[in-house]
Amino acid sequence: MKKHTYTVINTPIHNIDGIAKITGRAEYTFDITLPRMLHGKILRSPYPHGEIIHIDTSKAERLKGVKAVLTGKDTLGRKQGIWRRFKELCDEEILARDKVRYIGEPVATVAAVDEDTAEEALDLIEVEYNALPGAFEPLEAIKEGAPQLHEHAERNINVTRHIEWGDVDEGFKKADYVREDWFRCSSQAHVCMETHCAVADYTPEGKLTVYTSTQSHYYIKVLLAEILGLRENDVRVISRYTGGGFGSKFELDSAQFCCSILSMKLCQPVKIVLTREEEFSATKRRTPMFYYIRSGVKKDGAFLAKEARVFTEGGAYTAMGATALYLTGFFQSFPYVWPSYRYDGYRVYTNTAPTSAMRGFGAPQATFCAETQIDLIADELGIDPIDIRRKNAMYPGYEVPGQATIQSCGLGQCLDKIDDWIKSRGKLPPNRGIGVSAYGFMSGGIFNWFDTPYAFSSAVLQINIDGKVDLFVGSQDMGQGSNTTMAMICAEELGVKVEDIRLHMGDTETCPVDLGAWGSRETLMQGNAVKMAASKAKQQILEFATAKLAPNIVYDLDIKDGWIHLIARPERGLSFYDVVKEAIRGKDGQPIIARGHYTPHRKGMISPAYSFGVQAIEADVNPDTGKITLKNCVTAHDCGQVINPLGVEGQLEGAIAMAAGYGFTEDLPMDEGKILNPNLVDYMLLRATEMPETKVMEVETYEPEGPFGAKEAGEGLTNPTAGALGNAVFHATGISIKNLPITPEKVLNALKEKKNK
Amino acid sequence: MKKKLVHLTVNEEYHELYISPRKLLVEILRDELDLTGTKRGCSTGSCGACTILLDGAAVKSCSVLAVQVDGAKVTTVEGLADGAGLTPLQLSFLDHGAFQCGFCTSGMLMSATAFLNEDPVSEDIKKGIQGNICRCTGYNSILRAIRAVAEGKYEDEGR
Amino acid sequence: MIHNFNYHRATTVQESLSLLEKFKEDYKIICGGQSLLILMRQGLVAPENLVDIKSVKEMSYIDYDPKKGLKIGAATTHREIEKSPEIKKNYPVLVEMEENLASVQTRNWGTIGGNLAHGDPASDPAPILIAMTATVKLANTNGERSLLLEDFFVDIFETALEEGELLIEIQVPVPLKKSAVAYEKFNIIKNHQGIVSVAASITMAEDGIGCKDARIVLGAAAATPLRAGEAEQMLIGKKIDTKLLASVGKKASEECDPVSDIHATETYRRALVKALTIKIMKKAWEQAKTSGRVGGKHT
Ligand SMILES: Cc1cc2nc3c(=O)[nH]c(=O)nc-3n(C[C@H](O)[C@H](O)[C@H](O)COP(=O)(O)OP(=O)(O)OC[C@H]3O[C@@H](n4cnc5c(N)ncnc54)[C@H](O)[C@@H]3O)c2cc1C
Ligand code: FES
Ligand code: FES
Repeated sequence: MKKHTYTVINTPIHNIDGIAKITGRAEYTFDITLPRMLHGKILRSPYPHGEIIHIDTSKAERLKGVKAVLTGKDTLGRKQGIWRRFKELCDEEILARDKVRYIGEPVATVAAVDEDTAEEALDLIEVEYNALPGAFEPLEAIKEGAPQLHEHAERNINVTRHIEWGDVDEGFKKADYVREDWFRCSSQAHVCMETHCAVADYTPEGKLTVYTSTQSHYYIKVLLAEILGLRENDVRVISRYTGGGFGSKFELDSAQFCCSILSMKLCQPVKIVLTREEEFSATKRRTPMFYYIRSGVKKDGAFLAKEARVFTEGGAYTAMGATALYLTGFFQSFPYVWPSYRYDGYRVYTNTAPTSAMRGFGAPQATFCAETQIDLIADELGIDPIDIRRKNAMYPGYEVPGQATIQSCGLGQCLDKIDDWIKSRGKLPPNRGIGVSAYGFMSGGIFNWFDTPYAFSSAVLQINIDGKVDLFVGSQDMGQGSNTTMAMICAEELGVKVEDIRLHMGDTETCPVDLGAWGSRETLMQGNAVKMAASKAKQQILEFATAKLAPNIVYDLDIKDGWIHLIARPERGLSFYDVVKEAIRGKDGQPIIARGHYTPHRKGMISPAYSFGVQAIEADVNPDTGKITLKNCVTAHDCGQVINPLGVEGQLEGAIAMAAGYGFTEDLPMDEGKILNPNLVDYMLLRATEMPETKVMEVETYEPEGPFGAKEAGEGLTNPTAGALGNAVFHATGISIKNLPITPEKVLNALKEKKNK
Repeated sequence: MKKKLVHLTVNEEYHELYISPRKLLVEILRDELDLTGTKRGCSTGSCGACTILLDGAAVKSCSVLAVQVDGAKVTTVEGLADGAGLTPLQLSFLDHGAFQCGFCTSGMLMSATAFLNEDPVSEDIKKGIQGNICRCTGYNSILRAIRAVAEGKYEDEGR
Repeated sequence: MIHNFNYHRATTVQESLSLLEKFKEDYKIICGGQSLLILMRQGLVAPENLVDIKSVKEMSYIDYDPKKGLKIGAATTHREIEKSPEIKKNYPVLVEMEENLASVQTRNWGTIGGNLAHGDPASDPAPILIAMTATVKLANTNGERSLLLEDFFVDIFETALEEGELLIEIQVPVPLKKSAVAYEKFNIIKNHQGIVSVAASITMAEDGIGCKDARIVLGAAAATPLRAGEAEQMLIGKKIDTKLLASVGKKASEECDPVSDIHATETYRRALVKALTIKIMKKAWEQAKTSGRVGGKHT
């Protein structure tokens, strides 16, 4: 590997939005108030499945302070969805007109002078439903004769996916040991601290401005324009600060849509903020999955064949579920070399809140099942958990047949580091175990179901007379720190300081298109676009500098820290700031402008690059209560070249908290489609007191496809934790729980069962 | 229902406000006084995003009626430092990357400030922010930031 | 949405009682509001009149007398109890309990009186105080009455407080020699309400071997904090050993009457009661043997 020396990259840089955030000045959508602004609320269906017979809004309209009450009949009645290439997958109206399909589905919306009045008005809207029987569990809903949600989807099958390579049947024939298991992976709520919210401001000129908390202002602009019958560029979406996203905020949501139609009706700004209860029960969530896995291996642990089948609980609409269905199938094989693999996925419509993208995007479920089974296989064959993983690990240059080519891959080194750490722990006390899980993830998706005609990422850069750089990006910072990452990439490439960059983001009117912050795509994709723009600008400056310095033609020039110099003779140079001044003068007074863009071409089916890692969790299990206590969580992680160590560390620790929650405390239990814990008292998030000691060991690789060798470090880290936790319980007690979350009650029951055997 | 006169000193500024008794302190701070640094993340007193200092003690401003605190002194995140200054804790948050989306940050800073004012050495820092949820950071960076201040690493700083 | 109400602030006990008397039909008392405001926001409680007793100074105190025991004013905050040197010295288990109750913010503003009057079967202070034979003092415009705390809880979220009555004080007797009280709640997130909890007090006989008196009080294991009377009886007069504790735990798990909900099934709650009872009894027993004081940390 080539060693690179950087001035900005890999230094712990303060978050460029930091001061605004720690002084309370960062203005989130939640904080926005516009002159004459009204407040909106949404009436939601109490039935999981039913026909809307009639809606009477007259009483609500008469309430003092109410300005408008709208129902689906007041809309164009268009169905929308983010899978725009496939019309049948655009199946959600947002304001239901004839039929409701989940508890919480919007049926009417109100604008009033204040929130209390709007809420009061909701009580006055009379909706007559004809309740229909519901289908709640995918394994039931797919049966012949189950209540059908959508006319077009027989047996409620929404999407199917098939992935196959190698000769699976032959592989099983050759296997010395075959094992099959069923797993159930639960749902999970994103729980962004800022709930979904939007302020819409429609003016008589026919322009709609929407301030919103989102992961992709571009998607929201296009989706809103389409459903409202406006031209794309008559809609402006502004999103400066986003209070968390985690996958929940890149589809069009009820707050954005309802306040837009209200504002269009009234020509007055309208704000809608979802309550925490709405957020839990009526926004999208992680996809529950029922997994069947059969694996065939050699006596020595070599993987031969794997077959996986999954039925996912889709909820009422497609949302991003089709992507999750593909990715879970792909990552079920990850990060190993399976000579043969067959996957069949079925996404089933159910009368529950739609399931969609959430950090890890189908991979945490897959990784939990796969890694749990690998430990069971290793145990059966008497092989060390690290050894079996090492034997089958992916390596640089490996080609996943028909799917992907792995370029950089530090999985081997990660396994070594974790192995050393486990050995350093020595003999563990009783009822304590260490479990490991390997994982990997994509650095941005290649798929274009959205059907954008634009480049996946673009950046525009302008250098001003004082050397200050205006960088316009389309990426969205929702907390993951992409603003800082982009400023760092730009500063490094251009050879200036991070303080020299003035970043512009979060506004469709001024920023170029980027698909947004999902699928861990920003660092690689937006990063490449920024790097290209900076590199082109640098070229322009170096042309001027070369003319001034007149070096021997064999010398190359570079810029570092604002100093333009001969690479071979660093002391010979000029100030960047001086050259910029003259360059602009030389360009007839035009600032230096450059553009960059990135779209993956010929990079397989999934992603241009993959991160890898191994995590070990040490946990205690109380044999009397089944309670699990996390002790240590150690991760060896290959995210290519680290751009900002502070950022990577934050992503890792945050992912552990979220993924450990998925593993043992978080769940959305339901009764006939009703979520039973839609509040932060009953939905159990880890708090500081539950966090284990965390340790990160970076394994540096260089990813040729990424900016400065970087790849993703955001979502992949949510993949291993549930599996590592389950395996820790297995090694502590000998029981393996295949049904998430691993609650103390499940552990205690399994312990009892084991004792009775 | 009669409005009530309430006297509040917020970030050292004195206010007389006529308010509806059913208004929560957080609503008065955000909607009447434009102090939107204080956030809300729930309606069950669970998340701590609304934490402020009430006569020096950390309290959830979503769980207090404004009329109940007539005469009190309130500090919000906007009142932590003067002008362009930052407190040692704020600096430490920057250095340790103790925030991501930033939505919980005001509440965290207020809880941590109260904690540091009390007895930072002998107490478990985790307990000081136990009432605050952060969905982004996994807490450990926040704990490191608070610990650094408790250990005196920022004694001569703050600007 | 919080419904409209008329707000009345009282500054003395007398004033509070007259207000209660005046609005007999339709009032609600608010102290710290930590529990009440959640219910009001959900519209579950919508009183015409709200009587605020938070600023009644004379109801906020902690008095300890080595002869008479401990008196806590109902409007004393959780945090004041947690930080009280007197309580830490003489009833350390109360401090330990408070440290694990909700969050600092809630403890800074919520009160012990509000906690008990709320009547939540998952209350943390209730089982401990019952194990300590605490009494509560209630008052109305006609006078005062005292009640054993264990008789104060009537049903889920229902107490013995009558119309016009105010809870004004909690009284805890002086700890007996050779006695100890221990408490633990089971939860997944540290300071959440308990899925179940167990408080136990043990008083050793003069000989220091046998058990003279025992109390086992279960939280979140029935509609009210519950004394496991039969389990207690199994201990009195006996020499405690591991085997006896195991059957006491089993008995307690049979005596309780827990519900199934999203956090635990009834069966699991019973299993927890058993495990916790054994553990907590053992802890109390060990402390009682070596201690002259409740909680037993300071001999
Ligand atoms: C997030 C959160 C977590 C919590 N976790 C726990 C926990 O782990 N363990 C635990 O035990 N508790 C817990 N609680 C509950 C909390 O401790 C108590 O409910 C709170 O302290 C009540 O005190 P208050 O002064 O706020 O009461 P308020 O909310 O003001 O009143 C509660 C009830 O008591 C009545 N009342 C109040 N004072 C009196 C009085 N003097 N006389 C008669 N009636 C009165 C009110 O009318 C009302 O019905 C939690 C609460 C929250 C919000
Ligand atoms: S807003 Fe969540 S505790 Fe106040
Ligand atoms: S930084 Fe996002 S919730 Fe804490």
